[in-house]
Amino acid sequence: MANQDFVGIPSQVDTRALNRGATDFQRLRRGLLFNYLILGAGAILMIVPFIWMISTSFKPQAETVSFPPRLFPINPTVSNYIDVFDRANMGRLYWNTTFISVIKTVFNIYTSALLGYIFGKFVFRGRDIIFYILLSTWIIPFEVYLIPLYLMTVQVGWADTFTALIVPEIFTVYAMFMFRQFMYTIPTELVDAARIDGAGEWYIFHRIIIPLSRAALFTLIAFYFMWNWNDFLWPLVVISSHDKYVITVGLATFVGEFWNQYGVIMAGASLAIVPILALFIAVQRFIIEGVVLTGLKG
Amino acid sequence: MIQTITQKFTGSRSTLRAAEHRFIVIALVPTILFYLIVKFYPIFFAFFISMHEWSLFGNVSPFVGLDNYVLLAKDSLFYKVMWNTMYRTFAGTFLGAFCSLIVALILNPIKRGSILLRLIYFLPVMTSVIASATIWKWMLQTRFGLLNQLLSFVGIQPVPWLQSTTWAMPSIIVMGIWGGIGFTVIIYLAGLKGIPKDYYEAAEIDGASSIQLALKITLPLLKPVVSFVLITGVIGGFSGGFQAIYMMTGGGPLDSTRVLALHIYDYAFQRMFMGQASSMSFVLFAIVLILTLVQFKLQRVDWEL
Repeated sequence: MANQDFVGIPSQVDTRALNRGATDFQRLRRGLLFNYLILGAGAILMIVPFIWMISTSFKPQAETVSFPPRLFPINPTVSNYIDVFDRANMGRLYWNTTFISVIKTVFNIYTSALLGYIFGKFVFRGRDIIFYILLSTWIIPFEVYLIPLYLMTVQVGWADTFTALIVPEIFTVYAMFMFRQFMYTIPTELVDAARIDGAGEWYIFHRIIIPLSRAALFTLIAFYFMWNWNDFLWPLVVISSHDKYVITVGLATFVGEFWNQYGVIMAGASLAIVPILALFIAVQRFIIEGVVLTGLKG
Repeated sequence: MIQTITQKFTGSRSTLRAAEHRFIVIALVPTILFYLIVKFYPIFFAFFISMHEWSLFGNVSPFVGLDNYVLLAKDSLFYKVMWNTMYRTFAGTFLGAFCSLIVALILNPIKRGSILLRLIYFLPVMTSVIASATIWKWMLQTRFGLLNQLLSFVGIQPVPWLQSTTWAMPSIIVMGIWGGIGFTVIIYLAGLKGIPKDYYEAAEIDGASSIQLALKITLPLLKPVVSFVLITGVIGGFSGGFQAIYMMTGGGPLDSTRVLALHIYDYAFQRMFMGQASSMSFVLFAIVLILTLVQFKLQRVDWEL
């Protein structure tokens, strides 16, 4: 909006202030103050559940149910966290979830980059038909696949294995689509020049296309890692033994067992949330800018 | 061998070199096989299951034709489930789109601290719904939950948020809005960035107020983005809600929060009526398909404007 550069670029402020006069300047200032107030109130609403989770997780059981509510525990304790590690096998859940999420994300991104490159940069017969047929599976809700995929998994003997969690989700349409969009920003001449220099097709893909796709790559890696980490329904259906649970299923089971020990449950929720949030805050600039970059425009 | 496949596949008169042919074939053949086995075959299999009385434990699964669909049409619980699904979908999508639009409009002019604000609004998007639902269930707890404790300060009696047929669904909808607002705001902000600044400058010179700017310039130009957000929200809403409802109410009380996704899971994996559950998933599929076609039509109209 217009007032954006008003704040940011001093040289423009001068010319505009001349045009509009000082009263307008004050009006805009007041306007922004109003914006900050509303956004601040909204931000508090957004963040309260997290703060309350952390606060409860450090309270002894008696304090969690005491009135009035207190933000800071009177007798802070870490016993809830110790309980979670003892009873929920947290280390195992972290390992399983990380292992599966990393492998799935690597497959998702690699296959999508490859297909995005092929559909975006090559011209061959049937290209668009194949692309749109693959893309059409995007609209099919997972619930349609749930039952047949489960029965197929049982049939091939993959029930209760990590293979069943990973294999059906190696290829993914959304990232493929995004990479194909992104390919239009990479000049085709670059690929042709590399070919003339004698580079092989795989060399071009690995050494030219992938490095040039960095912006899309980081965003999609972050999103896919998050989605894979937070996946619930399929692991819930496929995995039955506790030592193969992922973190979401583990937390859901844990909440069922400790339903009235709020401190312990909130410690479990914190442990499920904090690693992924920390990771995301570390790379968040990429993510938020990347949503725009990869062409999310209505 | 590969050479002949490639020839057939890409056509001999193509301008591609052999190396490029090979590259494309090596990448596409496994992809197409995968999609055939994991994405297309299961749809036919699901339809096949929906024509049978399919139970995981029974050895025989008798063919029943379209009986499962007829049963659905006569099942009052299914109508209730569809009503709940639509209630959650439309209320959640429209309220969510409205709140996000407000946030995006007042966040857009801000420079200082905007990254921090975006991050805060984005936190719930990054959190797994299972964990968010766990927290919300605790905050909405009737006796010790934070919300009722705060309300008691202003003299409001404890409301059994998740145990009341009136309040359970609105609670889940509000939690859904909290969880999705950050993502929608970013889509709106991207749309707002695409509006040329000249428009505002010209209008300001003509003496337009900031409310006039919002109503006469921003909203009309943002219309395609708003309709994109609404339609994708509605499409996603019909198959959504499973995780939050599974964690917070399990579909209760008295099936007042039982939505389609939960109902399918419940029938297939708790009650083991896989045939019946498959027929429901096809009803869902049909709805989503129709909405998607509507979206294609609407978006085309928007581009033409």
